[in-house]
Amino acid sequence: MKLSGLLSEETITVQLTHTDKQGIIEELLDLAMKTGKIQDRAAALKAVLDREALMSTGLEKGVAVPHAKTPVAEDLVMALGISKEGLDFQSADGKASHLFFFLLAPETAAGPNVKVLAQIARLTSDAGFCEELKTSESPEHVLETIRSAE
Amino acid sequence: MMSKGLVDKILVYVDGTEGCIAAAQFGIALAKRTGAELIALYVVNVSLLEELTKARIFVKIEEMDYEQDLEQDGRRYLNYIAQLAQNKGQDLRTELSKGVVNKQVVEKIHAWDIDLLIMGELEPVLSRSDTYHDEAELIFRKAKCSVLVVKDLERMERLYETLE
Repeated sequence: MKLSGLLSEETITVQLTHTDKQGIIEELLDLAMKTGKIQDRAAALKAVLDREALMSTGLEKGVAVPHAKTPVAEDLVMALGISKEGLDFQSADGKASHLFFFLLAPETAAGPNVKVLAQIARLTSDAGFCEELKTSESPEHVLETIRSAE
Repeated sequence: MMSKGLVDKILVYVDGTEGCIAAAQFGIALAKRTGAELIALYVVNVSLLEELTKARIFVKIEEMDYEQDLEQDGRRYLNYIAQLAQNKGQDLRTELSKGVVNKQVVEKIHAWDIDLLIMGELEPVLSRSDTYHDEAELIFRKAKCSVLVVKDLERMERLYETLE
């Protein structure tokens, strides 16, 4: 499952502007809304916040994967936000998060959804890949980096 | 076990792709012509779910929820294929199991004495890591019996439609 096939330059930002958790999620959701595949912004936001309430998706080594399945997503929808400075996302190791992989999936796409999440986990286990993304200056470069890693 | 015919036991690997439906259609046609026993198998990839929980992407309740979703998907695909076989008067047994997908399929091939595995077309290699993680690719490489990869979906559809 190719992440670069789910992302585009318009669903990537290399400089997140918000610094609080809900703000970051809303900023990512707004990027994802550009795909035109999310029918209801408020319902999608609630799904992601409900999932975050169970346990933060701030992982280790600067990676966060806010995600949810929701009937308002017509297809798998992905966005990617980057913060060079790092943001507090209640990560597992207590360190700042730099890479935010945002994923929404329809309730009928469990198989592809799981595969995409697994691909994110595999790619971000490479420290060099994460560093390259973290220092990217443009969405175009981010996409090139992901394509060459895939 | 002494073989009775060209093919005695056929296993169709079901993974929810269009390709696996074509594989099932070909399996039904081949079983009708050879008299072989036909089995369709879907494996819920619980190892991948566990991997995501271990990576802290999933919480346990989410893992269980997705396992249920994948199981429902599997039963839906198997029921559809069973219906395809029934429409053509072909007996077909369906099985759903859970675990590491490629290991489960390889184990069932051995346990059920399968002599032909039929599967849909492999995905083009999408990423370097996919080469090591794509279950269909691993099954293709590890299966101890002959493997038939069905490629022409439209032809399979026509073949199936002409079956009596």
